Amino acid sequence: MIPELAYITIAAAITLTLFVVLDIIWKLPKEGGVSGADVISREIAAAGGDRHGGWMMGNIVTSPDASAGTLLAACGYYIGDHVCSIGILGGAAAAVLVFTGARICADKGYVGTSGTFAATAVIWALATFANFPPASFIAGMVIAILIVQGSSHILASRAIGNLWRKVQ
Amino acid sequence: MIENVPDWAVLISAVTAVYAALRAVFERNTLRKLPYVNVMNFAVAGVIVLFLPHPLTLAVAGAYFIGSTLETNAIASSISKLEGDR
Repeated sequence: MIPELAYITIAAAITLTLFVVLDIIWKLPKEGGVSGADVISREIAAAGGDRHGGWMMGNIVTSPDASAGTLLAACGYYIGDHVCSIGILGGAAAAVLVFTGARICADKGYVGTSGTFAATAVIWALATFANFPPASFIAGMVIAILIVQGSSHILASRAIGNLWRKVQ
Repeated sequence: MIENVPDWAVLISAVTAVYAALRAVFERNTLRKLPYVNVMNFAVAGVIVLFLPHPLTLAVAGAYFIGSTLETNAIASSISKLEGDR
């Protein structure tokens, strides 16, 4: 018997790893995808943060990337599971939404759409084989984005910047 | 046991939304407000879905989330453009 909060904590760790890895694979910390991401990065760097980490945070803010894909995949899976017990249908619907949204925000849309599919696959595997409730992934993703975007801009951007320089 | 999970999930998302909104209000720099607003958008989209599990809710949460992302994008790019014109 794993208590509910443990499911949410584990889901937070899994979604955090998933979207940070996908964003780094798609080179989000390399540069600002749109001019808005660039100025956010400059302000974070001016406050003592890291430029590359700032670019990734700016890109997350200004267009639906893998983190938005993970959140909407979790939402879609939860609704699909609740309505007709086929969570993957909801994940597919979320992928269409994320792709449309990324196109509206002048983004190519690969990051968000691949993130949605990857997250749907991970949530399906954990919900089917490890008995995770799909709702725990929604709360987990909220905690994960709080850690990256809402805790400390300086520390979060430095951590992402260090990770980016190690991977390069 | 599993029936209780949405309650914790709703509580965590709602508290996160309020916390992020307060951080955004008390942050002085407009551009550094935007990541907090982003966290609030994630949390509010999560709360909408957790409260109303219905197929249309996914469209509602998606429209809210993508619309608010577009707004933060517009604010940031307007500031960037204004600084470029100066």
